[in-house]
Amino acid sequence: MSQAMPHFPKIGPENDNGESSEPPPPVPKSLRAAQPPTPQDQGRHLQRLGHSDGGKASYRREKWRSRSLSISSNVSSSGSVSSRSSFSSDSGSSDEDEDAKFDPREREQVNSAGQSDFCVRNIKLATFGRREIEIAQEEMSALILLRTKLSTEKSLEGARILLCTHITAQSAVLMETLLACGAKIRVCSCNIHSTQNEVAAALAEGGVSIYAWKNMTEKAFWWCIDQCVAGDFPAPGSLGAEVDNKNLWANMILDDGGDLTHHLYKNYPDKFNSITGIVEENIAGIHRLYQMSRQGKLPAPVMNVNDSVTKTKFDNFYASRESVTDAIKRSTDCMIGGKLVVILGYGEVGKGCAAAFQGIGCNVMVTEVDPICAIQAAMQGFRIVRLEDVVHHADIVVTCTGNKNVVTRDHMNKLKKGCILANMGHSSVEIDVSSLATNELRWERIRSQVHHIHWPDGKYIVLLAKGGLANHNCSSIPSFVISVTATTQALALIELYKAPPTRYKADVYLLPKKMDEYVAQLHLTVFNAHLTELTREQAAFLNINRTGPFKSQHYKY
Amino acid sequence: MAVPYKVADIGLAAWGRRTIDIAENEMPGLMYLREKYGPRQILAGANIGVCMSVTIQTAVLVETLVALGARVRLCSSNPMSSQDHAAAALVAAGLPTFAWKGETVEEFKWCINQTINFGKERQMNMIMDDGGELTATTMKNNPNIWEGIRGISEETATGIHRLEKLSRSGELKIPAINVNYSVTKSKFDNLYGCRESLVDGIKRATDIMVAGKVAVVAGFGDVGKGCAQSLRAFGARVIVTEVDPIAALQAAMEGYKVTTMTEAVKEGHIFVTATGCINIIKEEHLLKMKPMAVLCNIGHFDVEVDWKYIKDNCEIEQIKNNCDLCTLPNGNKVVVLGKGRVVNLTCAQGHPSFVMSTSFTNQVLAQIELWTKTFPPGVHLLSRIQDEEVARCHLHKLGISLDTLSLEQAEYINVDRNGPYKPDYYRY
Repeated sequence: MSQAMPHFPKIGPENDNGESSEPPPPVPKSLRAAQPPTPQDQGRHLQRLGHSDGGKASYRREKWRSRSLSISSNVSSSGSVSSRSSFSSDSGSSDEDEDAKFDPREREQVNSAGQSDFCVRNIKLATFGRREIEIAQEEMSALILLRTKLSTEKSLEGARILLCTHITAQSAVLMETLLACGAKIRVCSCNIHSTQNEVAAALAEGGVSIYAWKNMTEKAFWWCIDQCVAGDFPAPGSLGAEVDNKNLWANMILDDGGDLTHHLYKNYPDKFNSITGIVEENIAGIHRLYQMSRQGKLPAPVMNVNDSVTKTKFDNFYASRESVTDAIKRSTDCMIGGKLVVILGYGEVGKGCAAAFQGIGCNVMVTEVDPICAIQAAMQGFRIVRLEDVVHHADIVVTCTGNKNVVTRDHMNKLKKGCILANMGHSSVEIDVSSLATNELRWERIRSQVHHIHWPDGKYIVLLAKGGLANHNCSSIPSFVISVTATTQALALIELYKAPPTRYKADVYLLPKKMDEYVAQLHLTVFNAHLTELTREQAAFLNINRTGPFKSQHYKY
Repeated sequence: MAVPYKVADIGLAAWGRRTIDIAENEMPGLMYLREKYGPRQILAGANIGVCMSVTIQTAVLVETLVALGARVRLCSSNPMSSQDHAAAALVAAGLPTFAWKGETVEEFKWCINQTINFGKERQMNMIMDDGGELTATTMKNNPNIWEGIRGISEETATGIHRLEKLSRSGELKIPAINVNYSVTKSKFDNLYGCRESLVDGIKRATDIMVAGKVAVVAGFGDVGKGCAQSLRAFGARVIVTEVDPIAALQAAMEGYKVTTMTEAVKEGHIFVTATGCINIIKEEHLLKMKPMAVLCNIGHFDVEVDWKYIKDNCEIEQIKNNCDLCTLPNGNKVVVLGKGRVVNLTCAQGHPSFVMSTSFTNQVLAQIELWTKTFPPGVHLLSRIQDEEVARCHLHKLGISLDTLSLEQAEYINVDRNGPYKPDYYRY
């Protein structure tokens, strides 16, 4: 039975069962670090597919592969990871990037159409970037399906969108979807390490005004954001930008972490006030927007993609489940089965991590402050403990609390030799890494993103990504999961752009449930899953529409 | 004064009492409430009509209400689910109980009427319902008593639908608390309860080997999730049917095939309906099932499997109690459990006590809220902090040591050190 094209949902008071009127209560205060977070803290979407950086990375990867095959069977939990040739992790936040020596701002580059409104590492990487984007498209069939449906309608004709997100092959598929729908975009990166240079080049070659390269300095990071927001969208038919013409200012924002929104608000208040819709997908950005909403400073409605069902239940949970053991494997090659693993925090991320370790045959324990989550963990067969009680025996410790200093220096003093310490929370303050910067401890860099920290008595622990997000830095996030989030973002933008002015106020909204359901529906085709349809009678019995939304606002999935 | 009652066999009381004693040990939440609120008799003056499956666990629940000072009359929300020894023990302890396993429809209604009617000296003023039958009957047939009801606590999705319908039409003039949406109910009872009790029901009724079979679970809500997980744990290959794309995607991500019932009947050996909706397995499916397919329902009402069609058109041979071999007009045979009524109660002993303790602690808290506070008409939820309190009083039994937030950590995530720890929209 062939899958019919899912119908784009109509949202409105007559259809949405009153979904969009009430903003949810404030998100807990920012999970940002006490110190200014590095862009790494906010990073999530990171994927290296296939080859990048020309031939060099592939050569390095082959070397790594043969090495890991020979040593993986000998590696014990005490971590006899070789300190032979380091390799760039597939996630690409290596600090030995060969191009790091010069600043792209010093280079004049044009694309083959003669346009120069961009700044990337090297426009000549565009062909490779295009290959990566094509590969990503294969994994993101839902977004392509959406593109096919909506590009004929030109749903975003007239939209001028500022995007601040990770520049990866997957986000390029999202950007090109927005372009296909008729939008114009200006792009910068939300993370100094995560840009895939070849993808940026491919986008620039395609005419996108993009300002991003891998391993930027912090100064360059803000310069790129400024270029993105300060520059205007060219009028149709005109070659250059026209200054101060309000019709050519941005009217939408797609942000990840809130830096672009904040920069626009602080430095270009007029432009900020002509924004008609903001989509934010990161908890840190959401927090700032809630604050602005409480102060009455929002110029426009905001869609909180971070707390949509599809993001929390799919991105946070399944991404963690797939990538946590991947991160440990790629960085240490160690045998994971049979180990004692302590997961700190049993929220969505903790649930995914615990399930992954349980599936691979570990003895998993969980720590929690929340009694509900604690019982959920118990019902899955995990022992709930305090870290102090098991710290001496743990082989692997993974933090997923969203909180700070859950692993302290005191804990780390007691960890056993070779214990692997990793963080899966989005901010890098869960492990008190700064407490390890003392004279008697010796830091040894084993590989990119892997350090041994040696105590005077000979004990060492294995710290991944210096306490930054392990899957971002040491492995990757599967395209499929990114597709779910990207589709949500695209739909959120379209919803805000097309909604009649009375539907939303200048406040922060959760995605209407019908949109959440539509995102899910688009992804079912990947699994050849066939949905059942409600009969009229069944729909009446449940008192819902035949086409959804199928569940109430309180339903927890 | 003689206790009014009607049960199957009062002689079962002693056995019932022994089983209740064991259950109390597994229901720490209810025992905690007795300790906390019993001395002040917080429910004194409450005359609570309770309509729930009369099981050992329900016995511990209603005796908790009594310990808190309430008067209670009890009937079953399901004609096939009563545990007769539990009913007998309650009567022996002085609690008016009208329930037995195997009631006819008329007897079922009669029991409800006995529950509504508290006698000359007092009037029912609170309702504790599971499916909304007691609520509906009181509203329709006893308007003067309905006017005196202070509040309703409702346990299950089906009953909630009915209350929300009444609320939307303006007919609900009293407050109700939706216990089903407490996290410690829906994510525990529905999920973990069914995870344990579905296969229990199937095994007791059929002794069938589950490993290697293809099991079809219709619906992937909390109940369906629990069912699918346990069937897979036994080694079945599980297929899921769904109308909701989000739930369907969750099923797919757990590795279940998602398809329509029409397709699934070609492969399935075991069928479980868990949708909360009507007409899931119909004539067209029954005729095409594999011979001797086992068919059961774990949704609240018997509307998911078309038992009426089977009764009217099939030759039915009882294999044992609640297990019927049905020969269809085309000669195909299927095994139907519990006549399509909820299988874990009809063919087994329902959910285990521990998970009923989390649900019932919510029920008692809801009654206390409605009795001691004023709410506007409509359907309300318990607060998150109450949800967390329910979870807290079950930790000790599981040997759980909870961590505590430092002041700094609490401030960092902007919560109170004592909770609530999550925003209202958090989905667990």
